[in-house]
Amino acid sequence: MSQNPSNTAVRAEQRLDRTDERLRQDEGVLDMAWGFIDRVRSGDLGMLPVAVGLIVISTIFSALNPVFLAPNNLVNLLFDCATVGVISLGIICVLVLGEIDLSVGSMSGLASAIVGVLWVGSGWPVAAAIVVALLVGVAVGLIYATLYNRLGMPSFIATLAGLLALLGMQLYILGPTGSINLPYASPLVRFGQILIMPDWFSHAVALLPGLVMIGKGIRTRRQRQTVNLSTQPVGALIVKAVALTVILELAIFYLNLGRGVPWMFGLFVALAVVLNYALTRTKWGRSMFAVGGNREAARRSGINVRRIYLSAFVLCSTLATLGGILSAARLASSSQQAGTGDVNLNAIAAAVIGGTSLFGGRGSAYSALLGIIVIQAISNGLTLLNLSSSLRYMITGGVLAVAVIVDSLARRSRVSHGRA
Amino acid sequence: MKAAANLASSSKFAVVPGAPIATGHLFSSKGGAMTRNIQTAPAKGEPVLRLSGISKNFGAVSALTDIELEVNAGEVVALVGDNGAGKSTLIKILAGVHQQSAGTIEFCGQPVEIENPRKALALGIATVFQDLALCENLDVVANLFLGHELSPWQLDEVAMEVRAWTLLRELAARIPSVRLPIASLSGGQRQTVAIARSLLLDPKVIMLDEPTAALGVAQTAEVLNLIERVRDRGLGVIIISHNMEDVRAVADRVVVLRLGRNNGVFSPDASNQELVAAITGATENAVSRRIDRKAGLANEQSGGAA
Repeated sequence: MSQNPSNTAVRAEQRLDRTDERLRQDEGVLDMAWGFIDRVRSGDLGMLPVAVGLIVISTIFSALNPVFLAPNNLVNLLFDCATVGVISLGIICVLVLGEIDLSVGSMSGLASAIVGVLWVGSGWPVAAAIVVALLVGVAVGLIYATLYNRLGMPSFIATLAGLLALLGMQLYILGPTGSINLPYASPLVRFGQILIMPDWFSHAVALLPGLVMIGKGIRTRRQRQTVNLSTQPVGALIVKAVALTVILELAIFYLNLGRGVPWMFGLFVALAVVLNYALTRTKWGRSMFAVGGNREAARRSGINVRRIYLSAFVLCSTLATLGGILSAARLASSSQQAGTGDVNLNAIAAAVIGGTSLFGGRGSAYSALLGIIVIQAISNGLTLLNLSSSLRYMITGGVLAVAVIVDSLARRSRVSHGRA
Repeated sequence: MKAAANLASSSKFAVVPGAPIATGHLFSSKGGAMTRNIQTAPAKGEPVLRLSGISKNFGAVSALTDIELEVNAGEVVALVGDNGAGKSTLIKILAGVHQQSAGTIEFCGQPVEIENPRKALALGIATVFQDLALCENLDVVANLFLGHELSPWQLDEVAMEVRAWTLLRELAARIPSVRLPIASLSGGQRQTVAIARSLLLDPKVIMLDEPTAALGVAQTAEVLNLIERVRDRGLGVIIISHNMEDVRAVADRVVVLRLGRNNGVFSPDASNQELVAAITGATENAVSRRIDRKAGLANEQSGGAA
């Protein structure tokens, strides 16, 4: 640890958690930067691949077609992100456990079919149709969890079977017409296509993360100081918060040059924030990571492992259902094509690209947020270039392969550097 | 509010790092998260755990046959036996990892079924497993409090970290930071974390499967001291060890298992020969032959010199 000369110096007051002489005393802003570089070197990449990926993608596509970076194109991009992004949030829950759900695409298609048939076909109120669709999602999750917990059926196989069964159900309830148009004037479709936050509101919301970061940081700092634990430097905290706020405000300002920030994207971000809180700050989240890391150890610690699997499968299916309803709203139709094609792949790829490991025990709700932006940016850029879907599939497949390779290499590096 | 009170009491120790920590503290604070419906703890010398006729079959193999074992409060029972004698299986039954095929377990005078690890922990049976059962992807604090986090809906990381440090200090653990993932700790450090975790929940019986196997000299002594302190507080302790020196140092009774059956109960003063004979099942065994050979060599040499 030669980067930091201060660790040899004897400190007048030692913090409770900094008494070990082998430990580097990271205290200033610079030390934190070094810590970040160390982490990346040892394979703890976090959000770095996404940031690099986004820069590369936007450079290439805007060079090929300047429309790519136009505000209104980005607004469309955010509309598209929200639908698959919500599905991807559910995928993160199962990936953290080291399991998989391959049926999220079919699940979302079935959900859009249920809403279309009940609402437009049978004249139910739209809210009731949505509730029924969500309940079907919960039921499918319960079935997967039961197959896994009681019969020991691998989730890979159970959900592969589900992929076919649910697709069949979608085709069955849509019947021979195959497609139902949703009324354009309805609130649901307006939500999926038109509704935009007012400028002042989006700017105000963009202030929140920075404010919360500072408020929470200062509170934690005070708590830690009273019990003599080391604290993060105030400088670093403020630098981070200011940087985040500036980036967000600029992004929102730019989007407001076009139509503005879609409410649907707002819903997606809100869900991601809630899931992030649940995963990092609650006992349930801690148990999720424990089960994903070492199932038997988690069981011996008294965690109800079956209930954890149940919660993850149910959450995944339900979020897939919600994603399906949103994409029906986005397309203003329930059709046989809904949820087929690359929906599955994109949802899983977004989670992995964002840094959630396929091997379980590592991940973050925000990886869906960032990963889906990368995926949709690629798909949007390729569409703007007028490439055929054959080429688009090949390129998206290649990007997914690269993302998984980065994940595997980073994992190997973490193992050799003694990080989990 | 409870967590805050806990914090305040911990900070008393925290502000003077290096100062000796009161022995009682480690076991007095309940951590605030556990609720237990438990009979009152038995007085010292009263049986806290009684096994009768415990058998366990894995298919055609009977790992345990008719095991009898009694552990009193304030007593250290050493469980010794050769590899495959069934020591770890017995521990796992008590920890709720396996279920016995036959026999009854009495805890604090009442028959209990330990159908899963949660039940064992709730009763007050804590275990340090041979494979430690830690989650490598989580940090030390998360592992210590796994399944028993403070304030489940808004984890109290500060309070948990302070308590983790206090516990680890008590064990004289050499862990540079409690925010390191277990994956980056050495075998000895991991073992300390596992032992610390078992003490966190204020158990009535604590079982240690090879607790000193990976520990250094100083830490082994710390763990033995700790076992004595735990015993003096009126807990029952079961310790599995292959190290006869450690066994003699702390045990009040030595229970020998051989091929899944009881093979005698000894006092720790029993001679090494007696113990080894019970463990191996023969007075004439590898250990005795080796000693005889050594003795013979020494005799020859001394004879040659004279």
